[in-house]
Amino acid sequence: MIRQILAGVETEYGLLVADRGAAEQVGDAMDLVRGFPNLHFAGWNYRYESPRADLRGFRLDHLAQDPEDAKYDAGKSYGKDPDIRSDRVLPNGARFYNDHGHPEYSTPECLSLQELAIHDCAGQRVVHAAAQAFSEKSGLPVWVYKNNTDFHGASYGTHENYLVPRSVGFDRLFRDLTPLLIARQILVGAGKVGNESGPSCRYQISQRADFFVEPANAETLYRRPIFNTRDEPHSDPSRYVRLHVICGDANMIPDATARKVGLVKLGLALCESNNAPLWRVSDPVRAAQSISRDESYNFEVALESRSWTTAGEILESYFAAAENLLELDDDLRWVIDSSRELLSKVHSDFPSFSRKVDWAAKRRMIEAYLEDSGGNWNDPELRAYDLEYHNVDPDSGLHAALEQMDEVAPDPDLAKLEYYQEHVSEPTRARARSIAVTKFKSDLVDACWRTLTFNINGEFVEVDLPPEAHYPAQLADAPDVGTFVTMLRGVS
Amino acid sequence: MTDGDRLTRPIPASPDRKLGDDSGPSAPDIRKPEGGNELLRRMKKVDPDQAKRYRQRSGQ
Repeated sequence: MIRQILAGVETEYGLLVADRGAAEQVGDAMDLVRGFPNLHFAGWNYRYESPRADLRGFRLDHLAQDPEDAKYDAGKSYGKDPDIRSDRVLPNGARFYNDHGHPEYSTPECLSLQELAIHDCAGQRVVHAAAQAFSEKSGLPVWVYKNNTDFHGASYGTHENYLVPRSVGFDRLFRDLTPLLIARQILVGAGKVGNESGPSCRYQISQRADFFVEPANAETLYRRPIFNTRDEPHSDPSRYVRLHVICGDANMIPDATARKVGLVKLGLALCESNNAPLWRVSDPVRAAQSISRDESYNFEVALESRSWTTAGEILESYFAAAENLLELDDDLRWVIDSSRELLSKVHSDFPSFSRKVDWAAKRRMIEAYLEDSGGNWNDPELRAYDLEYHNVDPDSGLHAALEQMDEVAPDPDLAKLEYYQEHVSEPTRARARSIAVTKFKSDLVDACWRTLTFNINGEFVEVDLPPEAHYPAQLADAPDVGTFVTMLRGVS
Repeated sequence: MTDGDRLTRPIPASPDRKLGDDSGPSAPDIRKPEGGNELLRRMKKVDPDQAKRYRQRSGQ
């Protein structure tokens, strides 16, 4: 059986406060996060963060910043970094904080695709609750959007994280996963009206494709790459890397979230076993943008040797290799079967395709509006409808309307989402974080993905959380923090 | 293991195919959602200038 891959999704949400703008956004996001009304622990341990380390074996002097965006910070001081980020560790093991003016929800680490998709969806409710509290306190209307662009050239990310043995190495990861990352957008893109770089188009399937300019680098804020090389493992660096995928979109349809992560897990399983199909894409950046803008939906990809293939053929090659060479678990079996079914419908049954694919659901929604209004694709207000597809308010968001009308695949039921806002079901290290927040909060000094630190009788005790270990539910039975630490040190 | 040792190969792409060949199926039939009352009701409430006002800090 193949290795279970620990994964998480981090989403920077768009934030709009009435009568305020980007210049006030960092302060507003800090206030929004700090006003989170439900149980949490405030604090984060930054000792193990290394955003300038590169998987290729070097370290950047600094990370590039968008010069236009930097103007917003001119002459301002928000305080020290930890204060600006305003980290909250939630009772489900998630992290909620301010990242460059965006409320960011990082799911707890998950093993199964379904668990991760539910946690990602529960995160929308967490951010919405914080936005409502912020609105009540400030007296200002507040909108929160789970998207990746402001249509004016500013983008913000939805990143995926996968725990990978360091022995795999950058060269294999880049070679084996880049074609998959380019191709998967046809099934998991979130769709966008218009473009923010390059030749004009009326609609494209990816929110993010306009913003990638290099095949690989460690940047995330500017000159973004298809394949991000940040080396920040959040675990023992001698054993693991964290594959940090930054080229995906935020998905509103949970089924798409699961497929987005599942396709990368499939690629990783093939990469780790040295069985990934070999594609030589001539220009990964141009290919990603070309696929995104292809309204014929043939999704052609130029290869070296002046040949070409399609995104669908690339995906199918991974499916065939996995079927032939891997012992598939239920998750990967689902990824292959459901993806094949969707690929068979993109041309023949677009309404069925659109139930599980955000870009297609959004496109149908806009077509419905155009038919009703008599408008056309040049109407500038179409971007407002695009934006509102991503509104996380269940009473006004347009994806929420489609979900309530059973036009798209359903969200998890409300009881399950409420449960996942405060609980962890899988035996991952997120369970240790969850118990620390819910049971030993008064003893907790700081937390991060890799460690927990407690104050035990005046002494700071740091406990490492190995990501591959099994964290049993019995940890919650620890009668005191000392016993809890002892039990954590015994997990394997 | 070298590339030549790999157990799998991608589906071969014909070298004589060129980008833009009109060999694929045409664009799909896109029809509006059924029973769109709730959707259209919400869409009519959308402020058409919301996206114009929507300016964000560049994130990651």
